[in-house]
Amino acid sequence: MSALRITTASAARMLRTSNAMMPSVMGAAQRRALSDSAEPARVPSVESARVPEKLAKEDSPLATPKRNSPDYNVPIDKATSTWTPVPKHIQNGSEEGILSAAVVSGAPMELQARTVRIFLPSKPATQSSNSRVLWRMDWDVLEKGHRWENELMGWQSSGDFVQGTHLTFRTKEEAIQFAEKQGYEYFVQEPNQRHFTPKAYANNFLYSPKKLKIVRTK
Amino acid sequence: MPITPTKYAITTRQSANWSDAKRRVFALYRRWLRSTPEMQSMYSLPLPISVIRTRIRQEFERNRFVNKLPVVDVLLTKGHADYQETMNFWRQTTHMMSYFNEESFRGAKRLPSSFIDGFLQGRN
Repeated sequence: MSALRITTASAARMLRTSNAMMPSVMGAAQRRALSDSAEPARVPSVESARVPEKLAKEDSPLATPKRNSPDYNVPIDKATSTWTPVPKHIQNGSEEGILSAAVVSGAPMELQARTVRIFLPSKPATQSSNSRVLWRMDWDVLEKGHRWENELMGWQSSGDFVQGTHLTFRTKEEAIQFAEKQGYEYFVQEPNQRHFTPKAYANNFLYSPKKLKIVRTK
Repeated sequence: MPITPTKYAITTRQSANWSDAKRRVFALYRRWLRSTPEMQSMYSLPLPISVIRTRIRQEFERNRFVNKLPVVDVLLTKGHADYQETMNFWRQTTHMMSYFNEESFRGAKRLPSSFIDGFLQGRN
Protein backbone atom coordinates (compact mmCIF):
# COMPACT_ATOMS: atom_id res chain seq x y z
CA MET A 1 0.00 0.00 0.00
CA SER A 2 1.35 3.36 -0.89
CA ALA A 3 0.04 4.70 2.40
CA LEU A 4 2.67 2.78 4.34
CA ARG A 5 5.54 4.24 2.38
CA ILE A 6 5.82 7.35 4.52
CA THR A 7 7.76 7.40 7.76
CA THR A 8 6.50 8.39 11.16
CA ALA A 9 8.56 11.56 10.98
CA SER A 10 6.99 12.70 7.78
CA ALA A 11 3.56 11.82 9.10
CA ALA A 12 4.16 13.96 12.18
CA ARG A 13 5.41 16.78 10.02
CA MET A 14 2.32 16.42 7.92
CA LEU A 15 0.04 16.83 10.90
CA ARG A 16 1.90 19.87 12.14
CA THR A 17 1.95 21.64 8.78
CA SER A 18 -0.59 24.41 8.55
CA ASN A 19 -3.26 24.38 5.90
CA ALA A 20 -1.69 27.25 4.01
CA MET A 21 1.41 25.23 3.34
CA MET A 22 -0.36 22.20 2.05
CA PRO A 23 -0.38 21.78 -1.69
CA SER A 24 -3.78 21.81 -3.20
CA VAL A 25 -5.43 18.56 -3.91
CA MET A 26 -7.50 17.78 -6.90
CA GLY A 27 -10.70 15.90 -6.77
CA ALA A 28 -9.75 14.13 -9.95
CA ALA A 29 -13.16 14.11 -11.66
CA GLN A 30 -13.07 14.47 -15.41
CA ARG A 31 -15.34 17.19 -16.66
CA ARG A 32 -16.55 17.04 -20.24
CA ALA A 33 -19.58 18.93 -21.43
CA LEU A 34 -21.28 16.70 -23.94
CA SER A 35 -23.04 19.05 -26.31
CA ASP A 36 -22.60 22.05 -28.54
CA SER A 37 -23.05 24.37 -25.59
CA ALA A 38 -20.49 27.16 -25.60
CA GLU A 39 -20.06 27.00 -21.84
CA PRO A 40 -16.39 26.39 -21.01
CA ALA A 41 -15.43 23.47 -18.79
CA ARG A 42 -15.68 24.44 -15.15
CA VAL A 43 -12.22 24.72 -13.65
CA PRO A 44 -12.18 24.43 -9.85
CA SER A 45 -10.47 27.22 -7.96
CA VAL A 46 -8.12 24.83 -6.18
CA GLU A 47 -6.51 23.86 -9.47
CA SER A 48 -4.61 27.13 -9.71
CA ALA A 49 -3.03 26.85 -6.25
CA ARG A 50 0.69 26.39 -6.30
CA VAL A 51 2.78 23.57 -4.88
CA PRO A 52 5.49 24.95 -2.58
CA GLU A 53 8.93 24.49 -4.08
CA LYS A 54 10.60 23.06 -1.01
CA LEU A 55 8.24 20.10 -0.81
CA ALA A 56 9.33 17.58 -3.41
CA LYS A 57 6.72 15.28 -4.82
CA GLU A 58 7.86 12.37 -2.66
CA ASP A 59 7.72 14.48 0.51
CA SER A 60 4.18 15.65 0.12
CA PRO A 61 1.94 12.62 0.35
CA LEU A 62 -1.04 14.92 0.72
CA ALA A 63 -0.60 16.16 -2.82
CA THR A 64 -2.87 13.85 -4.73
CA PRO A 65 -2.22 14.59 -8.38
CA LYS A 66 -5.03 14.78 -10.80
CA ARG A 67 -5.26 11.50 -12.59
CA ASN A 68 -6.71 10.73 -15.91
CA SER A 69 -5.63 7.13 -15.96
CA PRO A 70 -6.65 4.15 -13.84
CA ASP A 71 -4.82 3.75 -10.57
CA TYR A 72 -4.02 0.06 -10.19
CA ASN A 73 -2.64 0.41 -6.66
CA VAL A 74 -5.76 1.46 -4.80
CA PRO A 75 -6.65 -0.51 -1.70
CA ILE A 76 -9.74 -2.55 -2.40
CA ASP A 77 -12.52 -3.10 0.10
CA LYS A 78 -14.91 -5.94 0.68
CA ALA A 79 -17.49 -4.66 -1.78
CA THR A 80 -15.04 -4.71 -4.67
CA SER A 81 -16.04 -7.38 -7.14
CA THR A 82 -14.63 -8.65 -10.40
CA TRP A 83 -16.96 -6.26 -12.20
CA THR A 84 -15.62 -3.17 -10.46
CA PRO A 85 -13.88 -0.75 -12.82
CA VAL A 86 -10.40 0.43 -11.90
CA PRO A 87 -10.71 3.79 -10.16
CA LYS A 88 -8.75 6.86 -11.14
CA HIS A 89 -8.72 8.52 -7.76
CA ILE A 90 -9.90 7.46 -4.33
CA GLN A 91 -10.65 10.10 -1.74
CA ASN A 92 -8.37 9.93 1.24
CA GLY A 93 -9.64 12.85 3.28
CA SER A 94 -7.02 15.37 2.22
CA GLU A 95 -9.07 17.03 -0.50
CA GLU A 96 -9.25 20.80 -0.23
CA GLY A 97 -12.42 22.75 -0.78
CA ILE A 98 -14.86 19.88 -0.46
CA LEU A 99 -16.10 17.71 2.33
CA SER A 100 -14.58 14.25 1.86
CA ALA A 101 -17.85 12.41 2.17
CA ALA A 102 -16.52 9.26 0.53
CA VAL A 103 -14.18 8.73 3.49
CA VAL A 104 -16.87 8.86 6.15
CA SER A 105 -19.92 7.61 4.34
CA GLY A 106 -18.84 3.99 4.32
CA ALA A 107 -19.87 3.70 0.68
CA PRO A 108 -18.00 1.10 -1.35
CA MET A 109 -14.87 2.20 -3.11
CA GLU A 110 -16.48 1.00 -6.32
CA LEU A 111 -18.73 4.05 -6.43
CA GLN A 112 -15.69 6.27 -6.82
CA ALA A 113 -14.63 4.21 -9.79
CA ARG A 114 -17.93 4.48 -11.62
CA THR A 115 -18.60 7.38 -13.96
CA VAL A 116 -21.71 9.37 -13.31
CA ARG A 117 -23.66 11.47 -15.81
CA ILE A 118 -25.42 14.65 -14.70
CA PHE A 119 -28.09 15.66 -17.15
CA LEU A 120 -31.49 17.20 -17.53
CA PRO A 121 -33.96 14.64 -18.86
CA SER A 122 -35.65 15.72 -22.07
CA LYS A 123 -39.26 16.70 -22.32
CA PRO A 124 -41.55 13.70 -22.57
CA ALA A 125 -43.14 13.33 -25.99
CA THR A 126 -46.40 12.29 -24.42
CA GLN A 127 -47.04 15.60 -22.74
CA SER A 128 -46.86 19.25 -23.71
CA SER A 129 -45.01 20.37 -20.63
CA ASN A 130 -42.37 22.96 -21.42
CA SER A 131 -40.80 23.03 -18.00
CA ARG A 132 -37.79 20.91 -17.23
CA VAL A 133 -37.92 20.08 -13.61
CA LEU A 134 -35.09 18.13 -12.04
CA TRP A 135 -31.48 17.38 -12.90
CA ARG A 136 -30.67 13.73 -12.80
CA MET A 137 -27.52 11.82 -11.85
CA ASP A 138 -27.22 8.45 -13.49
CA TRP A 139 -24.48 5.82 -13.32
CA ASP A 140 -22.81 4.64 -16.47
CA VAL A 141 -23.28 1.04 -17.41
CA LEU A 142 -20.58 -1.42 -16.27
CA GLU A 143 -18.31 -2.83 -18.94
CA LYS A 144 -18.63 -6.31 -17.64
CA GLY A 145 -21.24 -7.61 -15.28
CA HIS A 146 -23.93 -5.20 -16.32
CA ARG A 147 -26.35 -7.87 -17.34
CA TRP A 148 -26.34 -11.54 -18.20
CA GLU A 149 -28.92 -14.26 -18.56
CA ASN A 150 -29.62 -16.20 -15.41
CA GLU A 151 -29.22 -19.95 -15.86
CA LEU A 152 -32.28 -20.83 -13.85
CA MET A 153 -35.05 -18.95 -15.61
CA GLY A 154 -33.39 -16.85 -18.26
CA TRP A 155 -34.10 -13.68 -16.30
CA GLN A 156 -31.68 -10.80 -16.37
CA SER A 157 -29.04 -10.97 -13.65
CA SER A 158 -26.81 -8.03 -12.91
CA GLY A 159 -23.67 -7.46 -10.90
CA ASP A 160 -24.39 -3.74 -10.72
CA PHE A 161 -26.01 -2.51 -7.54
CA VAL A 162 -26.83 0.91 -8.94
CA GLN A 163 -28.39 -0.51 -12.06
CA GLY A 164 -31.56 1.39 -12.82
CA THR A 165 -31.18 3.91 -10.00
CA HIS A 166 -30.73 7.64 -10.23
CA LEU A 167 -30.58 10.72 -8.04
CA THR A 168 -32.39 13.97 -8.64
CA PHE A 169 -31.28 17.51 -7.88
CA ARG A 170 -32.91 20.88 -8.22
CA THR A 171 -29.95 22.53 -9.93
CA LYS A 172 -26.89 21.47 -11.90
CA GLU A 173 -24.57 23.00 -9.31
CA GLU A 174 -26.09 20.94 -6.53
CA ALA A 175 -25.54 17.80 -8.54
CA ILE A 176 -21.92 18.73 -9.25
CA GLN A 177 -21.28 19.50 -5.59
CA PHE A 178 -22.71 16.17 -4.60
CA ALA A 179 -20.59 14.29 -7.12
CA GLU A 180 -17.44 16.09 -6.02
CA LYS A 181 -18.22 15.52 -2.37
CA GLN A 182 -18.72 11.82 -2.86
CA GLY A 183 -15.67 11.49 -5.07
CA TYR A 184 -17.55 10.36 -8.17
CA GLU A 185 -16.09 10.71 -11.64
CA TYR A 186 -18.74 12.82 -13.29
CA PHE A 187 -19.49 14.62 -16.50
CA VAL A 188 -22.24 17.12 -17.19
CA GLN A 189 -24.41 16.74 -20.24
CA GLU A 190 -25.98 20.05 -21.18
CA PRO A 191 -29.62 19.86 -22.28
CA ASN A 192 -30.50 20.32 -25.93
CA GLN A 193 -32.29 23.54 -26.70
CA ARG A 194 -35.52 23.40 -28.63
CA HIS A 195 -35.34 25.08 -32.00
CA PHE A 196 -38.10 27.31 -33.14
CA THR A 197 -38.30 28.97 -36.55
CA PRO A 198 -40.56 32.03 -36.57
CA LYS A 199 -43.12 31.52 -39.33
CA ALA A 200 -45.84 33.68 -40.82
CA TYR A 201 -48.41 32.34 -43.24
CA ALA A 202 -48.41 35.65 -45.11
CA ASN A 203 -44.83 34.96 -46.19
CA ASN A 204 -46.15 32.35 -48.60
CA PHE A 205 -47.66 35.13 -50.69
CA LEU A 206 -44.73 37.49 -50.87
CA TYR A 207 -44.04 38.94 -54.31
CA SER A 208 -40.77 37.93 -55.86
CA PRO A 209 -39.56 39.08 -59.37
CA LYS A 210 -37.43 35.97 -59.72
CA LYS A 211 -38.34 32.41 -58.78
CA LEU A 212 -40.66 32.08 -55.84
CA LYS A 213 -38.89 31.73 -52.49
CA ILE A 214 -39.26 28.53 -50.56
CA VAL A 215 -39.79 29.32 -46.92
CA ARG A 216 -38.37 26.53 -44.88
CA THR A 217 -40.75 25.80 -42.10
CA LYS A 218 -38.64 23.34 -40.12
CA MET B 1 -29.59 -8.75 30.90
CA PRO B 2 -26.66 -10.75 29.64
CA ILE B 3 -25.59 -7.98 27.25
CA THR B 4 -26.18 -4.36 28.16
CA PRO B 5 -26.80 -2.53 24.86
CA THR B 6 -24.93 0.53 26.01
CA LYS B 7 -21.84 -1.39 27.00
CA TYR B 8 -18.75 -0.11 25.19
CA ALA B 9 -20.76 2.89 24.00
CA ILE B 10 -18.84 6.15 23.74
CA THR B 11 -20.61 9.50 23.58
CA THR B 12 -19.92 11.44 20.44
CA ARG B 13 -17.76 14.46 20.97
CA GLN B 14 -15.73 16.85 18.93
CA SER B 15 -11.98 16.99 19.24
CA ALA B 16 -10.71 20.30 20.54
CA ASN B 17 -7.58 20.24 18.39
CA TRP B 18 -5.24 17.92 16.56
CA SER B 19 -3.42 16.67 19.63
CA ASP B 20 -6.76 15.82 21.23
CA ALA B 21 -7.78 13.96 18.09
CA LYS B 22 -4.45 12.16 18.00
CA ARG B 23 -4.93 11.05 21.59
CA ARG B 24 -8.41 9.76 20.83
CA VAL B 25 -7.25 7.90 17.76
CA PHE B 26 -4.51 6.18 19.71
CA ALA B 27 -6.98 5.28 22.46
CA LEU B 28 -9.33 3.73 19.93
CA TYR B 29 -6.48 1.88 18.29
CA ARG B 30 -5.36 0.47 21.60
CA ARG B 31 -8.90 -0.60 22.37
CA TRP B 32 -9.07 -2.60 19.16
CA LEU B 33 -5.66 -4.16 19.62
CA ARG B 34 -6.24 -5.15 23.23
CA SER B 35 -9.52 -6.88 22.41
CA THR B 36 -8.18 -8.83 19.47
CA PRO B 37 -7.73 -12.11 21.37
CA GLU B 38 -11.28 -11.84 22.65
CA MET B 39 -12.58 -11.18 19.12
CA GLN B 40 -10.67 -14.13 17.80
CA SER B 41 -12.30 -16.44 20.33
CA MET B 42 -15.77 -14.89 20.08
CA TYR B 43 -16.02 -15.21 16.33
CA SER B 44 -13.81 -18.29 15.97
CA LEU B 45 -11.55 -16.57 13.49
CA PRO B 46 -9.10 -19.07 11.97
CA LEU B 47 -6.35 -16.48 11.84
CA PRO B 48 -3.49 -15.65 14.16
CA ILE B 49 -3.95 -12.59 16.33
CA SER B 50 -1.07 -10.85 14.57
CA VAL B 51 -2.89 -11.05 11.25
CA ILE B 52 -6.04 -9.57 12.75
CA ARG B 53 -4.01 -6.78 14.31
CA THR B 54 -2.29 -6.07 11.02
CA ARG B 55 -5.67 -5.80 9.38
CA ILE B 56 -6.87 -3.37 12.05
CA ARG B 57 -3.72 -1.36 11.51
CA GLN B 58 -4.39 -1.34 7.79
CA GLU B 59 -7.87 0.10 8.33
CA PHE B 60 -6.44 2.86 10.47
CA GLU B 61 -3.71 3.56 7.93
CA ARG B 62 -6.31 3.95 5.22
CA ASN B 63 -7.39 7.20 6.87
CA ARG B 64 -3.92 8.50 7.61
CA PHE B 65 -4.08 11.44 5.25
CA VAL B 66 -7.25 13.03 6.56
CA ASN B 67 -6.49 16.65 7.34
CA LYS B 68 -9.86 17.86 8.54
CA LEU B 69 -10.85 17.57 12.18
CA PRO B 70 -14.59 17.01 11.62
CA VAL B 71 -13.83 14.10 9.32
CA VAL B 72 -11.54 12.62 11.96
CA ASP B 73 -14.32 13.03 14.53
CA VAL B 74 -16.77 11.15 12.36
CA LEU B 75 -14.25 8.40 11.73
CA LEU B 76 -13.63 8.11 15.46
CA THR B 77 -17.35 7.85 16.13
CA LYS B 78 -17.68 5.13 13.54
CA GLY B 79 -14.64 3.33 14.91
CA HIS B 80 -16.08 3.29 18.40
CA ALA B 81 -19.46 2.17 17.09
CA ASP B 82 -17.83 -0.67 15.17
CA TYR B 83 -15.96 -1.67 18.29
CA GLN B 84 -19.17 -1.75 20.27
CA GLU B 85 -20.89 -3.85 17.64
CA THR B 86 -18.01 -6.27 17.56
CA MET B 87 -17.59 -6.70 21.30
CA ASN B 88 -21.33 -6.98 21.96
CA PHE B 89 -21.47 -9.91 19.55
CA TRP B 90 -23.83 -8.08 17.24
CA ARG B 91 -21.81 -9.21 14.26
CA GLN B 92 -21.18 -12.67 12.91
CA THR B 93 -18.08 -14.52 11.85
CA THR B 94 -18.87 -13.77 8.24
CA HIS B 95 -18.74 -10.03 8.87
CA MET B 96 -15.34 -10.34 10.49
CA MET B 97 -13.98 -12.64 7.81
CA SER B 98 -15.11 -10.32 5.02
CA TYR B 99 -12.24 -8.05 6.01
CA PHE B 100 -9.73 -10.68 4.95
CA ASN B 101 -8.96 -11.08 1.29
CA GLU B 102 -8.57 -14.82 1.07
CA GLU B 103 -12.27 -15.21 1.82
CA SER B 104 -13.28 -13.48 -1.40
CA PHE B 105 -13.35 -14.95 -4.85
CA ARG B 106 -10.02 -13.98 -6.40
CA GLY B 107 -8.85 -12.60 -3.08
CA ALA B 108 -6.81 -9.47 -3.43
CA LYS B 109 -6.76 -9.69 -7.23
CA ARG B 110 -10.27 -8.45 -7.85
CA LEU B 111 -8.86 -5.52 -9.74
CA PRO B 112 -6.39 -6.05 -12.56
CA SER B 113 -2.77 -5.15 -11.91
CA SER B 114 -2.14 -3.43 -15.24
CA PHE B 115 -3.83 -2.45 -18.45
CA ILE B 116 -2.85 -5.64 -20.24
CA ASP B 117 -4.07 -7.75 -17.34
CA GLY B 118 -7.43 -6.00 -17.48
CA PHE B 119 -7.62 -6.23 -21.23
CA LEU B 120 -7.00 -9.97 -21.17
CA GLN B 121 -9.70 -10.34 -18.53
CA GLY B 122 -12.12 -8.80 -20.97
CA ARG B 123 -12.60 -5.45 -19.25
CA ASN B 124 -13.11 -2.87 -21.94
